[in-house]
Amino acid sequence: MRYRYLFLVSLAAATTLAALASGCGAAGKPTAEGTPGSSSWTQPRTAWGDPDLQGVWRYESAIAFERPADLKGRDLLTDEEVAQKEKQEQEQQANRLSGLEGAAVGRRSIAESPIRGNEYNSFWQDHGRPRRIVKQTSLIVDPPDGLLPYTPDARKAEARSAARYGVGPYESYLDPDTGERCLTDGVTALMWQGPNGGHNMIVQSPGYVTILHEEYRDRRIIPVDGRPHGNIRQWLGDAVGRWEADSLVVDTTNFLDRTNYEWASIWTRPTETLHLVERFTRVSADTIEYKITVEDPATFSRPWTASIPITRLADDTRIYEYACHEGNQAMPNLLSGGRADAAKRRASSK
Amino acid sequence: MRIQLIGLSAALGVLMTIAAPVAAHHAFAAEFDANRPIKLKGTVTKMEWINPHTWIHIDVKRPNGTVERWAIEGGPPNALFRRGFNRDSLPTGIEIVIEGFQAKDGSRKGNGRDVTFADGRRLFLGSSGTGAPVDGRDPADKRR
Repeated sequence: MRYRYLFLVSLAAATTLAALASGCGAAGKPTAEGTPGSSSWTQPRTAWGDPDLQGVWRYESAIAFERPADLKGRDLLTDEEVAQKEKQEQEQQANRLSGLEGAAVGRRSIAESPIRGNEYNSFWQDHGRPRRIVKQTSLIVDPPDGLLPYTPDARKAEARSAARYGVGPYESYLDPDTGERCLTDGVTALMWQGPNGGHNMIVQSPGYVTILHEEYRDRRIIPVDGRPHGNIRQWLGDAVGRWEADSLVVDTTNFLDRTNYEWASIWTRPTETLHLVERFTRVSADTIEYKITVEDPATFSRPWTASIPITRLADDTRIYEYACHEGNQAMPNLLSGGRADAAKRRASSK
Repeated sequence: MRIQLIGLSAALGVLMTIAAPVAAHHAFAAEFDANRPIKLKGTVTKMEWINPHTWIHIDVKRPNGTVERWAIEGGPPNALFRRGFNRDSLPTGIEIVIEGFQAKDGSRKGNGRDVTFADGRRLFLGSSGTGAPVDGRDPADKRR
């Protein structure tokens, strides 16, 4: 994921990003028990009395991760601004469905695009429904400026990572980033990102909540029976859950230190000092307010919190396999591209 | 409509600063060469449904009569399927036009930016019944 890119982009670029976001649901009817936000809605519960979070969920909103510079000092948009953005989103979606391309769907031309990722050919992606427009100006709600509180060293690491992404060196399979290696794009973004859709299925049973993330086939089986943390370090850490009122709180520690790997975005990398707290609160039939608080002195000068609305998809939505190594042609292509670049450099230095 | 939208975009200014997570599973610039645009008209020999990206294999007949085999990277299979794309969407033998960019190493691999059928219909949408123009491309979306 290239989040750092997001707050650097120009206005025009941001327009395009809007069209590319992962806000795309499987087609289908709205689900559920009552109308979102209506007073008739009551918290659904499992047979054993826990709040029922089950279903397939996906991030479908259009909110910047970090607050864009032109919204500095503002945590909310006005009603008028929301209405204008909604209009634009609807128009782009209508244009997309009627076969238009380019600026009409918020896509940049190849000449304008830096082509760092897949942004130049969004037509492959699953755009699904128009994204939800909300007042929130950034997913990060704390610190109040909406920006990641990197330590000076982490900021340097982020700059280094940004400079080498897509550029290399690509001398070995260790050089591409963890996503390109089919490992993971990072635990902190598991619930709400994913180039291929970011679909997540939540299944509950007495004493357990299980989350199956389609992307990278990550799955987390989270005990909610009061047990303490274990002492095994893992990529996804050691998660234990508890219910606080109607919120599921998942507390994760014991991450592996993989800071020697290449991370496309430094804020997603786990370290041994990472402490992640996630809060899942179902606030309507089709919305979970998903909050993450990240504390990690190895990367951040203070804890930060992001509030991310995730949307329940139709009852019949399925998630599928994501056998990333099956055909990860990116790896040989990156390495052969690196050789081609090196040959070019040698030729030009002669 | 498109021109109107561009005007609207300019007018909206700051409001258009929507930045949502953008996925980049792999870095385009490391694999493909933006200075090597390709436009290939070819016959589908195989649609490979593999993760994390599909690959479309085509035979391209050159003016001198020889046939070149090309492999073009497509979208992720799960995303394509959710969009209604299935095993019948690109049957073997059908003629398509692919625009994209060639692999940096010069091999006959590319990244597919646009795919149309020989009659101009776009890969996912088609024009019949949707009211869309056959060529729905935006003038701002210039190629080199």
